[in-house]
Amino acid sequence: MKALIFLCVVTGAALVYLMSEASSNNAFFAQNYKLLFYLGVGLALGLGSLIVYQLLLLRRKLRERVFGSKLTLRLMVVFALMALIPGGLVYAISFQFLQQSIESWFNVRVDESLNRGISLGQRVLQNSLKELNEKAEAMAQSLTTAGGSEATTLNRLREQHSVEEATLLTSRGRIIAQSGAEPVALLPDLPTPIVMRQVRAQQSVRSIESIPDRGLFLRVIVPVNTLSITDDIRVLQVLQRVPTAIAKDAEMVEAGYKDYQQLLLARVDLKRIFGLTLTLAMLVTLFSALALAFLLSEKLSAPLSALAESTRAIAKGDYSKLNPVKSRDEFGVLTQSFNTMTRQIAEATDAMERNQRQLENAKVYLESILSNLTSGVLTLDERLAVRTMNAAAAEILGVPPQAFHAVKLSDWPRTESSLAPFAEIALRRFAAPAGGEWEEQLEYRRSDGQRTLLVRGSRLDTSEPGYVVVFDDITHLIQAQRDAAWGEVARRLAHEIKNPLTPIQLSAERLQLKLRDKLPELEADILKRATGTIVSHVAALKGMVDDFTQYAHASRMNARAVALNDLVREVLVLYESMGVAIEARLSDNLPLIHADPGMLRQVLHNLFQNAIDALTGMDNPRILVSTTLGSAGVLITVRDNGTGIAEGVMGRIFEPYVTTKPKGTGLGLAIVKKIVDEHHGRILVENVKPHGATVSIVLPLRAAA
Amino acid sequence: MTALALIPAHAEGIDLKSASLVPDDDGWHVDAQFDVQFSPRLEEAVNRGVPLYFVVEFELSRPRWYWFDEKPIQLSQTYRITYTPLLRQYRLSMGSAYQNFTRFDEVTRVLSRIRDWHVADKGAIKSDGPYQASVRMRLDTAQLPKPFQLNAIASKDWAPASEWYRWSIGNR
Repeated sequence: MKALIFLCVVTGAALVYLMSEASSNNAFFAQNYKLLFYLGVGLALGLGSLIVYQLLLLRRKLRERVFGSKLTLRLMVVFALMALIPGGLVYAISFQFLQQSIESWFNVRVDESLNRGISLGQRVLQNSLKELNEKAEAMAQSLTTAGGSEATTLNRLREQHSVEEATLLTSRGRIIAQSGAEPVALLPDLPTPIVMRQVRAQQSVRSIESIPDRGLFLRVIVPVNTLSITDDIRVLQVLQRVPTAIAKDAEMVEAGYKDYQQLLLARVDLKRIFGLTLTLAMLVTLFSALALAFLLSEKLSAPLSALAESTRAIAKGDYSKLNPVKSRDEFGVLTQSFNTMTRQIAEATDAMERNQRQLENAKVYLESILSNLTSGVLTLDERLAVRTMNAAAAEILGVPPQAFHAVKLSDWPRTESSLAPFAEIALRRFAAPAGGEWEEQLEYRRSDGQRTLLVRGSRLDTSEPGYVVVFDDITHLIQAQRDAAWGEVARRLAHEIKNPLTPIQLSAERLQLKLRDKLPELEADILKRATGTIVSHVAALKGMVDDFTQYAHASRMNARAVALNDLVREVLVLYESMGVAIEARLSDNLPLIHADPGMLRQVLHNLFQNAIDALTGMDNPRILVSTTLGSAGVLITVRDNGTGIAEGVMGRIFEPYVTTKPKGTGLGLAIVKKIVDEHHGRILVENVKPHGATVSIVLPLRAAA
Repeated sequence: MTALALIPAHAEGIDLKSASLVPDDDGWHVDAQFDVQFSPRLEEAVNRGVPLYFVVEFELSRPRWYWFDEKPIQLSQTYRITYTPLLRQYRLSMGSAYQNFTRFDEVTRVLSRIRDWHVADKGAIKSDGPYQASVRMRLDTAQLPKPFQLNAIASKDWAPASEWYRWSIGNR
């Protein structure tokens, strides 16, 4: 495009120059004017269509809202106006000037004087001709009368009258004699028959001949009459050169006249030709200027488009687009600054992203630590509203993980009344003036039982002040400590008590055996009753000691794959005849579980025994035992409609020697709890409406070995 | 050997009335009769001293089926008409030969008659195959003064020309 426009402009300039040359009188260009004209028209049309094409291109760009196209249009309009206004002005003035100057060539006086000049020349020539005619007639007169040789006479007469050439001819046109100042005849042609006829009719013929390279000649042909009628008349032709000075002057006048006449004739055409040349030159120049204006405006707006594109790229987050700096002007500086800015933004963004990643990594690390922590961690802001609460905290407190987000500590009891002691302690300790760090143990009642929490709090003195509360569920720890203590007690008791029991029993039986017959009836009866009492109580003691032994030794687990339903049915058989309706809802799709069957049997026995004990004296006693497969493992539920568990012991129900029964060691549920714990299961005891209790046990499918 | 055409006279411009290719002792010559009518503008131009050049062109061609026609003879003659205001004379010249006239219609008359234009030597026209002869007369606009050349582009007045007149010559 650029090359094409450049070519057009150069060609246009050349054409315009040639045409202006051709308009002046130059033979070569004059001949090729037509060609030049057509070339010029062609070029103007070509440029015109080029401009139309460019305009269409620009319009499409404008429609598509290409960035920079509006600037291109404006620049283009400005450039076009800059070319059009002065160009048009110069054109109008030139055109006017041209028309007037051509008109000014012509005026009446010049016309008149040239006409007069011509007629002057004509008159001079006519006068000379008349003179020559008189001479010729005199010569003819002399020739008529003269005798002797015609050639001699003719020569004499010619010299006498100072005539250039004289020729005597017959009436048929044959040369009789010729005499000339020059040896060669001046005129190649002889008078025509028409002229001869005219001469024979006694008329002289006068003419002016212009002989190429020789100048103007006056020619007169007169008849030479004879004296006798018999003789044929002869003809005399006389030639006289017009004086060179006169001839030259006449020619000059004539040439001037001719030129003037031609100009006069061509006046309109000349105007047209100059006008056309001018118009064409103007068009070519203007179109070239317009085409160039396009190029320029596009070139000027190109860096803008490039910058716009880069801006768009940056907006999309692509910082790799750098514009090459092409020019040393302000655009260049701008581009360079832009590039620098882009690079800086890219670097800043990089650094930012790196930091972000690091922060995120740190956060993820921290969060994973927090979530994997078994301790509950609670962070509070300075208003004591919850900022974060890890999974373990939610688990320990028994609330949904996100439930307390941004809830103030003082508002906790309103949402969850059981949390009141926890919130109260924290508030109190943080409110204390020296409340930097504190530690407290706290009993926390949950729906599924009482928990013992060890709560530690501390104030954060970082950039964002706040508080951290860390707490652990130490229920198991305490339980374990207690269990261990009780195990020890049980073992000792068993050991210390069991040993003397057998000698006591044996001694009592021996006393009875030996003294039964030797004592009077009354005393024997007393002895019998006393020994009976001793034996039965020793037996009861033995049972109690066995329980203790069992409790103490319950930790030796012998686990294998067990079908729980079979175990349940096996145990149930023993309780069928107890006068209680036992219903079993056993799920069919239970997998085998990894457990100690003996221990499980013990658990079931204890649970059934407890249920039956609770049902004593109730109307319509019922026990419901069910097994189901849950997400955490297998669930065994034993439910009765008995008296239920008293509120006062609910919290300590799993501790040894806690019982509501009139007789019992209080070890039943403690053993159950211990076994379940050893199987890594969970146990929950709750009262049901209208009366009764449910014990639910979840055993994991694959207890850890 | 002689073809003759009669074409009605036309108002302005140049028409060909008759043309013939005639054998003679030296070979062949063309006789042609044109009807040359000057437009008033053109006559005025002559009277104002503009020289006019008339070109008479002759072509002899033999058609060839496989290529462009063979053109063994292509000739042209230029006649020049000038006016000398000083002598009130018209001059019709052809090469170095010239003729003077005092009246314009005489010039026209002489220009219209082409006689004994020697176009071919003996034996230049072969005896086999048909030939086609063409002749026309036109004003040579290229030799007009420049301002009038543009007129010649625009108007027929300034560029009188006869159509090509063609006739075929059969050899026996």
